[in-house]
Amino acid sequence: MSKLYTFLKYFFITFWTVFVVAPFLWAVSTSFKDFQSVNSKVTYIPWLDFEPTLEGWRVLIKSPAKGGVDIVEPYFNSIFVTCTASLISIVLGTLAAYALSRFTFKAGFVRNNDITFFFISQRIMPPIVLSIPFFIFLSTIGLLDSLLGLVVVYIVLLMPIAVWIMVDFFNRVPKELDETALIDGCNPYQAFYKVVLPNSIPGLIVAGMFCIIFGWIDFFFAFILTFTEVQLLPVKVVALNSSITPWWSLSASALVSVAPLIIVAFIVERYLSKGNLSGALK
Amino acid sequence: MEEQMAKIDLSNISHTYNPLDPKPTYALNPFSMTWENGKRYAILGPSGCGKTTMLNIVSGLVRPSKGEILFDETPVTDLKTEDRNIAQVFQFPVIYNTMTVYDNLAFPLRCREFTKEKIEERVKAVSDTLNLSSFLNSPARKLTADQKQLISLGRGLVREDVAAVLMDEPLTVIDPDLKFRLRRNLKEINEQYKTTLVYVTHDQNEAMTFAENIIVMDQGEIVQVGLPKDLFEKPKTTFVGYFIGSPAMNIFHSTVSSDHEVKINDTTIKTNSNLGNLKDKNVKLGIRSEFIELAEKEKSNTVKIKLTRVEDFGNFKLLTGKMGDLVIKSKVEREKPIPDGELNLYFPPEKCCVYSDEKLV
Repeated sequence: MSKLYTFLKYFFITFWTVFVVAPFLWAVSTSFKDFQSVNSKVTYIPWLDFEPTLEGWRVLIKSPAKGGVDIVEPYFNSIFVTCTASLISIVLGTLAAYALSRFTFKAGFVRNNDITFFFISQRIMPPIVLSIPFFIFLSTIGLLDSLLGLVVVYIVLLMPIAVWIMVDFFNRVPKELDETALIDGCNPYQAFYKVVLPNSIPGLIVAGMFCIIFGWIDFFFAFILTFTEVQLLPVKVVALNSSITPWWSLSASALVSVAPLIIVAFIVERYLSKGNLSGALK
Repeated sequence: MEEQMAKIDLSNISHTYNPLDPKPTYALNPFSMTWENGKRYAILGPSGCGKTTMLNIVSGLVRPSKGEILFDETPVTDLKTEDRNIAQVFQFPVIYNTMTVYDNLAFPLRCREFTKEKIEERVKAVSDTLNLSSFLNSPARKLTADQKQLISLGRGLVREDVAAVLMDEPLTVIDPDLKFRLRRNLKEINEQYKTTLVYVTHDQNEAMTFAENIIVMDQGEIVQVGLPKDLFEKPKTTFVGYFIGSPAMNIFHSTVSSDHEVKINDTTIKTNSNLGNLKDKNVKLGIRSEFIELAEKEKSNTVKIKLTRVEDFGNFKLLTGKMGDLVIKSKVEREKPIPDGELNLYFPPEKCCVYSDEKLV
């Protein structure tokens, strides 16, 4: 019985690992191929099955004038927009979440939970519903096709995530912690940043990770709200496609696009394995 | 160091958590009380009787709906918690997870901008008292639950100038052996530094052994304030009689038959209470099982009971008997021979308490 269990366990783990890793290996291998090696016959192993080439990678940094698709600028645009929007969302979201967790709000029938739900409801709506209002809003204030405009829109998209995660996190931090800090002589602001905030680093990291992921992978708003001045990475990657699908440069761009998220995942994983995310107080 | 400890006056305090309700329910009914400087107090009562609310009012976490708090005759009702100079320890350990044990203990002093030398001296003294010296540099979150509670306690004791240290069932998570030692330590700290200690508990033994003055609370009311002896011998209400002592006080329905006598099931019992105004009224007679004596034969103030159970507790025997449908419990010495079947119990008149409307006559 236990042998069967062990067998099944390892079988599924192996199966799942292959399922997850195979596309990456496929992308890595494809990114070094040329038209010939992709389209003639099935090939797997470099130097044996096909002659590897860096053409797929070179296209990504060559200027369009030389027949390339320059993704360097969109790459840094994406990093800038994602990081700025995530940072602002985390700061504002954490403050909002702390207030929602510790104080009682009342406005007509609206209570704390309703306000929290209002934040999350922003994410329940299909994004297409928001596209026209955002478009009109950004064009009215003259921020269409600009990095700042995208940052504003992304804050709207990311802050609900931060609020949602942090409200839940603060609710699990006993209010006695704040009260103890007050008794020990902190004023409410000191209690927040000296005691509650350092205790909430695990929550901040999780919230930050989600913000970065959702900000980084957004294609829809980047596509609708920018044209020529500013481009973000996901839009540029899609623009790589043409009548003959360039599998090699698509694979290469997919790998560089996913790289930052892998780095984030590694950092968070370190943190997770240190046991700091357990966040318990008692 | 300047002595800043204070006398704490609670004047006409009452509190409700739903003040906007047309019929607010009171967590604390109006009361006044004075906590003298340097004394040890225990607040004793069942869960939900308002003990914690009272502490939170003193520390400023809760603002009372009515009434005033004075520290040394100075009103502090509107003063914020951080300006009140009160230390409070909660039931479950609250520690600053991200700091070391040393930083945890030093935190209240750092917030109040003490000098580095002073902080070091105080932290050392407190950590010695609480056996935490060897952990000072470990992260506080690595410690066990009872060690964490010691840190909470330590943060309360580290400031020698506090007006009072309020403790809300602080020893719940600590194992019995250490509990005993800590209670003694707290007593010593109180005697040495003359820090006012207020200790909330629902455990009467803890209250009795710790405090000089015990405040018994029930359903938002202060029922009795007094020395352990008073609470035991002359409980002011039947509630105190039930709540204090193990087993609870024997309480019988009875009627007043003369100025000093009551009748339980046709048996007349003489008491030392003056019952002149209560003739023929229904009252309750209370007597501690410790004070009931075995009588060899029927005489005045004895009742005849049918023995139903004898429990041996090692240091004493607990007899349970029935008189009609009334249950009587009596503690007798272990060595005393217990006759089978029927026996006579003597109620010493000076130990009988008579209650009219649940209050001592």
